[in-house]
Amino acid sequence: MSRSRNFDVRGTPRRRRASLRTGRRRVAGRALVVTGFAVSILTGVLLYFLPAIQVALRDTGQANTSLGGDPQLKPVSASEHLSSTSPFTLLLLGSDSDSKFRGDYLTQSMILTRVDPVTRHVTMLSIPRDLWVRLCNGGNGKIDQAFLHGGAQCAIQTVEKDMRVHIDYYAWIGLQGLVSVLDDLGGINVVANNPVMDDYYPADLSGGSPFAYQRILVLPGAQHMSGTLALQYVRARHDDAYGDFARSQRQQQVLIALRAKTKHLSIADIPNLAASLGSDFQTDMSIGQVSGLLPIAGSVPLASIMQVVLLPPYTSSEYVGGQDALMPNWSLIRPEVARYFPVTA
Amino acid sequence: MKRTLILIALMVASCAAANRTLAVLQNHTNAGSLVDTTSPQVTLPGTIYVSQQGAIFVIKGSTVRRLPLPSGGAWIQPRALPDGSLLVVRRFDQYSDLYHVSASGRVLSRMTGDDQSSVNRTLQLDHWILWPAVSPDGTTVFFATDSPKPAPRQSYEVDFSLWSAPLDGPIAVGDNGVSGGTRWSVPDAYTGGDIEPIPLPDGDVLYSSYANSGNGQVQSVLGLQTGPQSRMVSLTTPAQDCGTPAVAGDGATVAMVCTNGGQTADLEVATLEGSTLSAPRVLVANCLCNSPSWSSSGANLLYMDASDPDGNFGLWYVAGATNLHPGSPRRVTDASVDLDATSAAAWIS
Repeated sequence: MSRSRNFDVRGTPRRRRASLRTGRRRVAGRALVVTGFAVSILTGVLLYFLPAIQVALRDTGQANTSLGGDPQLKPVSASEHLSSTSPFTLLLLGSDSDSKFRGDYLTQSMILTRVDPVTRHVTMLSIPRDLWVRLCNGGNGKIDQAFLHGGAQCAIQTVEKDMRVHIDYYAWIGLQGLVSVLDDLGGINVVANNPVMDDYYPADLSGGSPFAYQRILVLPGAQHMSGTLALQYVRARHDDAYGDFARSQRQQQVLIALRAKTKHLSIADIPNLAASLGSDFQTDMSIGQVSGLLPIAGSVPLASIMQVVLLPPYTSSEYVGGQDALMPNWSLIRPEVARYFPVTA
Repeated sequence: MKRTLILIALMVASCAAANRTLAVLQNHTNAGSLVDTTSPQVTLPGTIYVSQQGAIFVIKGSTVRRLPLPSGGAWIQPRALPDGSLLVVRRFDQYSDLYHVSASGRVLSRMTGDDQSSVNRTLQLDHWILWPAVSPDGTTVFFATDSPKPAPRQSYEVDFSLWSAPLDGPIAVGDNGVSGGTRWSVPDAYTGGDIEPIPLPDGDVLYSSYANSGNGQVQSVLGLQTGPQSRMVSLTTPAQDCGTPAVAGDGATVAMVCTNGGQTADLEVATLEGSTLSAPRVLVANCLCNSPSWSSSGANLLYMDASDPDGNFGLWYVAGATNLHPGSPRRVTDASVDLDATSAAAWIS
């Protein structure tokens, strides 16, 4: 019996040993297959949760350092906070910043804004991009060329001289920057005025040819807009009875909608937003000044926002220098600008 | 050789398992976004179809399910037919098509083929078809389309006009118009045009008409026509800027959304008598309201609204909205649900 037991343990016959080896291999093979499938399923789960993991990593601050973006905002300085009482003017600039312009940007949008923190009153004046003016370099041209000739400083000087107004700050944003900031904020709610349609809308952000077209349609009425949809809403112009003027009104609408978002922002959000905007955003305001602007913007009632667009007779269409342009009627425009944008000490 | 084949088969099966896991999880998320968050506090009778993130959801009592429509494009603007089936618009980036689908989500027919550029390679000759509405006798479908393209074709002008066509046949939208269809309106150029047709029991058609106001704005009025391309009677003024009409089961009470030129809107109701609309009563003021729709057999109103300027668009309900003293608005879906506000709910009650 004991021999037999020893025999079983130590002296397995060849056939049984082979059978055991085969059995082990089979078990190992099956385990390998099961493990393979488990790894595959885990891979699927990992892919599913990847965006959440990325967000989690970003929220722990790791993305701030890894992005390495050079935020265009100046560092926080306690002494540079916006005065809580003095009205100030801000020139908002927007450009088609896609690859077909290779960094030589015109400004498609130019909105002169005055904020009065005490009365919580905001005035927005859209300056038509085709307005024929004397530029900062002394020549005449459309006002959208000022930024092209000398960046934000030239745009500011041009507006200050022609409109006889003082500008305290500026902020410039490119196409992708606008999409990014709106998406980062979770989109906006807008009441679209009418069906906005364009069969020749530039397909310059889709990665293909920057000269290609696409069809777009923004349905009318109240709706939630993503960054891309909001960009289509403010940028489309070909099927529009009022062309650039209607576009200016829509741009002001989006700015007003953005104001609702500022209620949820704090100074801690500014660096992340700036990093996400990257080179598609420039301003001469510090982070402290921007953060000071947020509660003001968030507290302005809708009824206290004045929107101004320079329709005829303030402007008139003319063919100048081989191109269609809008001639300013300064005798009408300047008194209005002086009324809405008084120069304060 | 046999082992190699088994190895390859296992690798393929393994990849399929990973892919399937991802698909199941993604599908679970999509279906759950509305299912898991519908508020149980308002349980409405009948069946309600809504659109969210390109999918059609069915709300029945306190349960919600997603219609298993084919993937690709966004399924929007469901309209219920008398037999319980649906007309649904499938919108892609550059065109849209009209589909007839069963109540369970099976595609019965694709009624249009508006992806013209796949044949003629001219993007501008693609078409939109939106806001389908079936005549009270159930034989004719009314809709808005951007056809015909005015001469010279492929110009910048692209506006909606209203058309009707037999419901039982395919609808051929071409660059000259709708073959076999009837054109109802000629839009004001470069405004967006005429949209949201509602065929009335007496044969008239109520709709939203956008026009150049001459004061630097495009504004909308509710228009009424008694026949194809007949003169439009304006039921509201451009200053009211009203649109998205919906007519109650009584055939006379009209719900509409008016901005009065502002950044918010009012949800209003008024009574249509012949070609006159009574003074409106405001149901909800200063809202982000859109897309009202009535219960098929009653006086109860559904609409989309974001309760605050930064909030999600949910489904809201007003009981007895045709009455002088309607009920208070109640939110049907949970605050975390964000519905397609431009897509009216279809309610079979």
